[in-house]
Amino acid sequence: MKRALLAVSTLLVTFSLCVFLSFAHAQGSDPLADPKSDKQAGFPTDLNSWVIPPDNPQTPAKIALGKALFFEDRLSADGKISCDHCHGPAKGFTDQLPTSMGINAQFGQRNAPSVLNSMFNVTQFWDGRSPSLEAQVEGPVTNPVEMGQKSTDAAVAAIKSVPEYQKQFKEVFGRDPTFADIERAIAAYERTQFAFDSPFDKFMAGDKNAISDSAKRGWSIFNGKGRCMSCHGWNPTQPLFTEMKFHNIGVSAHKSDFVPLARKALDTLRSGASAQDIDKLAIGTDMSGLGRFLVTKQPHDIGAFRTMGLRNLLVTQPYFHDGSQQTLWDTIDHYNKGGVQNPYLDGGIVPLGLTEAQEDDLIAFLSALTSPEYEKAAKEEFDLQFKRSRTNRPQRDTAAANGEKGRAPGLAGPFGDIGPEQTEEDPALLGGR
Amino acid sequence: MAVRHKSVETKYMEDRDAVLKGLRQLDRRTFLKVLAASTGAVMAKGLMPPHSFQLVEVANAAVDKATSASGMAGKPPFTFAYISDTHLYERTLNQRFVRGAVKAVEDVNALDPQPDFVLFGGDLAQLGRRGELDLGKQILQELKAPVKLMVGEHDWFYDLGEAWQDMFGPPTYSFDWKGVHVVVLMSVYEKDFWTARKLSPAERMQIVAGLDNGIQSRFEVGDAQRKWLSDDLAKVPHTTPLLVFSHSPLYKYYRNWNFWTDDAEQVQAILKPYRHVTVIHGHTHQMLQNQIGNISFYGMLSTAWPWPYAPTGLPPLTIQMNRADPFDQFDGLGDGQFNVRPDGLADMIYNLWDRNPVTIKADYLTSRGKTARPPGPQFASY
Amino acid sequence: MSRRIIAYATLGFAAVVIAAAAYSREIRAQESPPVTHQVPAAKDGGVVVMLCDGKTSMEVKGLKAGQSMTHEQALQVTRELMAKWQREHPDQKWQIAQKDESSQPVPAPSAAAGPDVSKPSGTVPSPQTGAKSPALGMQQGDTYASFTDRDYKIWKNETEKFVAEGKRIFHDTKELGGTIGVSCDMCHPDASNTHPETYPKYQVQLQKVALLRDMIDWCIENPVKGKAFNPNDPKLRALEAYIYAQRKGTALDYGKH
Repeated sequence: MKRALLAVSTLLVTFSLCVFLSFAHAQGSDPLADPKSDKQAGFPTDLNSWVIPPDNPQTPAKIALGKALFFEDRLSADGKISCDHCHGPAKGFTDQLPTSMGINAQFGQRNAPSVLNSMFNVTQFWDGRSPSLEAQVEGPVTNPVEMGQKSTDAAVAAIKSVPEYQKQFKEVFGRDPTFADIERAIAAYERTQFAFDSPFDKFMAGDKNAISDSAKRGWSIFNGKGRCMSCHGWNPTQPLFTEMKFHNIGVSAHKSDFVPLARKALDTLRSGASAQDIDKLAIGTDMSGLGRFLVTKQPHDIGAFRTMGLRNLLVTQPYFHDGSQQTLWDTIDHYNKGGVQNPYLDGGIVPLGLTEAQEDDLIAFLSALTSPEYEKAAKEEFDLQFKRSRTNRPQRDTAAANGEKGRAPGLAGPFGDIGPEQTEEDPALLGGR
Repeated sequence: MAVRHKSVETKYMEDRDAVLKGLRQLDRRTFLKVLAASTGAVMAKGLMPPHSFQLVEVANAAVDKATSASGMAGKPPFTFAYISDTHLYERTLNQRFVRGAVKAVEDVNALDPQPDFVLFGGDLAQLGRRGELDLGKQILQELKAPVKLMVGEHDWFYDLGEAWQDMFGPPTYSFDWKGVHVVVLMSVYEKDFWTARKLSPAERMQIVAGLDNGIQSRFEVGDAQRKWLSDDLAKVPHTTPLLVFSHSPLYKYYRNWNFWTDDAEQVQAILKPYRHVTVIHGHTHQMLQNQIGNISFYGMLSTAWPWPYAPTGLPPLTIQMNRADPFDQFDGLGDGQFNVRPDGLADMIYNLWDRNPVTIKADYLTSRGKTARPPGPQFASY
Repeated sequence: MSRRIIAYATLGFAAVVIAAAAYSREIRAQESPPVTHQVPAAKDGGVVVMLCDGKTSMEVKGLKAGQSMTHEQALQVTRELMAKWQREHPDQKWQIAQKDESSQPVPAPSAAAGPDVSKPSGTVPSPQTGAKSPALGMQQGDTYASFTDRDYKIWKNETEKFVAEGKRIFHDTKELGGTIGVSCDMCHPDASNTHPETYPKYQVQLQKVALLRDMIDWCIENPVKGKAFNPNDPKLRALEAYIYAQRKGTALDYGKH
């Protein structure tokens, strides 16, 4: 008798969860939103075991609850914005906008990063101000230009008001909904969004024909002339194409007021100002471009942003922390010319002297980092970007890329010494490193 | 324009960071005061932090007031910036070193307020050619503040100083500045090693340019110049603070690499009677400090390339810098400034590129490392 | 007297002289007391056998007094006796009548920091080549036992030349293929801060586990702005040799950062 009761109640719970889920955001039913399998080529088993916190183990019920919350509009102040509003599964878990639009059609300062593989990041956000996936949830919920809640209590109240959620939270956590548990559930769902299994992963696993010759040349450039590997590091243990550190690559310097703003911030810091002074500066002016400096207050972090991973780039456009670059060709042009000169530019950013063919090869390689579920969308985007790249290249500066500008009579930068073409066969071409 | 608000969580993290930073800057007595005060406040008001944060800032201000009252801290009588060891090749051969020199000039020009003058620490050229020296002069001319030049061995040994003296005047001189007597020495003379070997000027320069070949002679100030120094200092009372600018360190660090001055002891003996002496030298391309008797020694950074620490002879007081990353063209390099105190001793700021700046206070050296110890490296060179 | 008598007397006298001479030797021999060797008593119920030096002895277990040994036993006993003698007299020149490895001395177990057993000590000069042959008393007849001092000299000469070549390239931007006037010694005087003993390790600039030559190649491509060498290029190998040579004696510590 007891066993039958248990079976029936489990069935009821599952059924109501399904019914309930259908009330949640429509996109929740998109297969791209489903938890992903970890049986993917290139999946980092060790790393995955290290990043699951002991106080938040993965369970199917928790993941289902987290998924429901991820698509839950009630979390926002006006009941219209859920996480997937800016991190939509069909758009590579981003919104494919330069910067995100939140409550009351307000725009923020930063490009929405993808949730895919985010569980492997050491910190969250472009400036690393959040230490974990759980902690990250609070940011958008209480941000006035994102989900606009006055406090986390308001969000909890909204969730508590739904009896279904009450039941689920009791089932999963054994208590009433709290914000910390909301964070845990959402994080648990996010921890199922792996994205590997790309042609490159198969190439490194031994399939010599998994990527095109152009992509193989691109992989060789990535390790060599392009100097990409040193920051966008890949190794089988951490195959994310980022070393999880922060660098000023000169993107903020696109904006003309960056340097005076940065000096002002530095002087404020040097004169012994408090956190409140910096805060005032931050609120009163467009300081977003100062990046990690606002978090650590350290001079070497001025204008520094996190090295982003490179998987599934063709569904997470536009690029950089401000979404300022439309195509991959624009991003490579930015690096090729040595970034944009500013006093805090990372010394690793130098003119590269890549030819047009080498840029195309590099981008062919980046295209090979697409996971299978996004292949079709990525192909369409690639065709669009490729077409555009033949005519429209706002960032290209060939003279600077070849270090020729430095030979001008004027002493201003950028300077560079482009070395000779490497002629020895790169082991990368053979599927090695 | 949309007003950017910080989330509560961000603000909290930032406040917390500021508190921790503030706490680290307090000396022990003040820290205990703060602790007592905040405990009392908490008990009185029945409150928890972050209200106690404000108490730390108040304590900090009190410390500042106290030190400035004693006349020791607060605004220095003057500051001067430094740029050193640019090692310029001709522009068409190597532009990375040009970029480094230009970056240093940009840094110094951005200082506000501007320093009184800029010390150039020697080795303007790499191989002593007139073209290289011209390029260096062109770059340094962009500096807004006046420049005091010092010669290095890379500038000298192609033509034994002919071009340098032609362009920049005598290598040895002195001047007074706001109560401090400043001496600029040519401390990289070498006993003749080239005549017997029948070396051409280019060959001689190439040997001097190599650090580890062991063929060149060890640096020295030389008898004549030591005499000049004694005569120059004869008119200077022993209570006047001295600043000595020298390319070689004026002490003996590592003979094999010519991190060395052969007659160092004799020079130090001439400086000994003076109460406050600071020697500022180039040549070593690394963070380097020493204290010998009454003399504090500071080594300047290069703008061209960094050097590892020598296997032996490193002064124990030295706060080493982290190993340089060869991926980063500017790592381990930089410029900086000296804040000269009312008593004539100087605090030095190493403005390391791509790293946080490091300040070495004069007290750290004069107390033989007991006070004001700056942070150390995580991975020094080896 | 007749001639016959004189002949017989001479013969007789010669015979006496010869006899006396022969006998006197015996006498002389018998004058020193005959040597008797004290054979130590048997401890395990066997028979003690002793060498004619009167000192070296051993007990043959299981043999009873009066019992005779088999041929194999006898060979074994003589081998052991000789081995023992040679152990106790390492400096004595012992000419082996036959090549018989089993009669060689059993080498003593070497302590941890024992003498260098890699090179044979105590060599015997050969009159023809001037090269020394390995000492008798060492294992014979294989590659590593056949090397002589002259071989060592040749090898050392080659090695030092190789290292010197590496040193030359290390200090020469043109040899490195550099295009901006930078050579290795500018940042690494005396090959300092190259720490070859730490390879293999994860090299952050390459973002992979690297060997020394991988890093040399990376440095040539990046700060030196030259063309990276093929791993088999003699120049790269010479550079590697020089760098290792500068760190002789440093403990290996792979993976150290």
